[in-house]
Order: sequence, then structure tokens, then C-alpha cells
Amino acid sequence: MSKRILVVDDAMFMRATVKRILEQAGYEVAGEAENGAMAVERYGELKPDAVLMDITMPVMDGISAAKAILQSDPGAIVLMCTALGQQNLVIEAIKAGVKDYIVKPFQPDRVLEGVGKALGVA
Amino acid sequence: MKVDFIDPFLSAAFTVLEMFTGERPQRGQLAIRNSTFTTQQVTIVAGVNGVIEGVSLYGMSLESAQKIAGAMMGSQVTELDDMATSAICELGNMITGNATTLLSQNGYQVDITPPSVIKGPHVEVCTKIPALVVPVLTPLGNLEINVALEENAMRNAA
Repeated sequence: MSKRILVVDDAMFMRATVKRILEQAGYEVAGEAENGAMAVERYGELKPDAVLMDITMPVMDGISAAKAILQSDPGAIVLMCTALGQQNLVIEAIKAGVKDYIVKPFQPDRVLEGVGKALGVA
Repeated sequence: MKVDFIDPFLSAAFTVLEMFTGERPQRGQLAIRNSTFTTQQVTIVAGVNGVIEGVSLYGMSLESAQKIAGAMMGSQVTELDDMATSAICELGNMITGNATTLLSQNGYQVDITPPSVIKGPHVEVCTKIPALVVPVLTPLGNLEINVALEENAMRNAA
């Protein structure tokens, strides 16, 4: 059975791009969310194998959402996918328990490498 | 405004646009624009806050926006519909996000707000300070980068 991923980004274009990359590699996109609060809610409903999440989003940012997901499920696999590459943010995300940090713009292989390693299928 | 503030935006724009167009963009002539000016046909607006604050705007013609969105989506774009607009908005997010990473390497810790896209020309934009403007020339059309940033006296005093 293919691994199920929750894709979180406020940009419709990015959700579509990431979804296409994942599905072409054989992953199932379990669902999508367009802000951090929706991501936390959808994670509880869908119980995906991994979450691929942006940081800069309205309502709740990705770092706060990652912390909330990891607090409710310490075994959750969360990867950040963001245009922000500041060292302090990377450190904050890793300290929160995020598995990988992918900076936009990215090549499709970078997303698949991150997801694959996080899920132990690479 | 410090001229140093615009360089990270130019570097970021070059990196992002080169990835999507496949060619290194060219830099146009630096200019200063009054604190009130009108937009082009398509303008992306992103806020910057932190130890420096203000706004970055990326203006372009409708034709350029359609061609750049098409390159990002991997398909021809003849109308700036919701998906193409989202791609253009993400272009602004990537440029501003990468620019803030470069600013942080220079000691300026800043955050960005989710960008917005203004469609339609002649919208009057007011910034607190005059903007530095640099045209970026790409094979798909030109992008005009406007950066109006100043040091945040309150944050820096804290």
C-alpha cells in the first residue's frame, strides 16, 4: 500500500505541484490543507504517514502547526517545505521534531528524497 | 533606505527566475521611485517585518505574468485564472522568502507576510519611504522589483 501524505500550503499552485510530484512517484495524497489550523484538524482526521508543510500561511503558520501535530502525535513525520531558509527557523523546526527542511524553489527529486528518507523508503 | 537592502531581493529573483526560465536574468538600471506610485498590470505585494520592515512589490505586464506562470506550471497560460494567479503569487513568496534568508545572513532577522496579487493597472500604492526599483529582464518578460524597507527603530531599540 502506498504511503499517504498530507500536503499543506496556502498556495493552490504549490499544493498542485507537490501533489503531482508525489503521485507520479507512487505516493497517495491523503488530503490537502491551506493553513496550519486546517492541517492540525486534517491530520487528526486522516492520520497520514507524513505531512509536507509550508511555513508562511495565514491563520496558523507551519512551525506552530508542526508543533501542535507533534504534540498530539510524537511519532508524526512532518517535513517543512518553504521559501524561508533562515538558520533560526531551520533550528526551531528541527528542535520541534521536524524531519527535513526543503527550501523553495526545489527540484522534484529534492522533495522525493526528503519524503523517502523520512518515511524510510528511500 | 539602504541600497544594501535591495541586493538580496535581486539575488533571490535571479535564483528563482533562472530555475523557472532556464536562463540567467539580466539586471536593469537602479532607480528611486516616489513613495506613491501606480502598479503595473500584475503586481505581487509581500510585507516584510522584523528588524527591518516595509514592503516588496514585483510588477509585470499581463503577458509576462502569463508566460512566467506558464513556465512555473509547465503548460501554456492564456488567462491569469486562479491557478496561474496562485503560481505568480508563489513567485513573489519564493523571491521574498529567499531574500529574507539572505538578509538574515547579513544580520537582519525578518519575517514575511503571505503575498497578495493585484490584477489591473493604475492602482495607487503608498509606501512609507521611497522605493528602490530594479528591472529584471528575463526571456519571458520583465519583472520590476520595488523594495521599500527601513530599519525598525522600535525593534532595534528593544
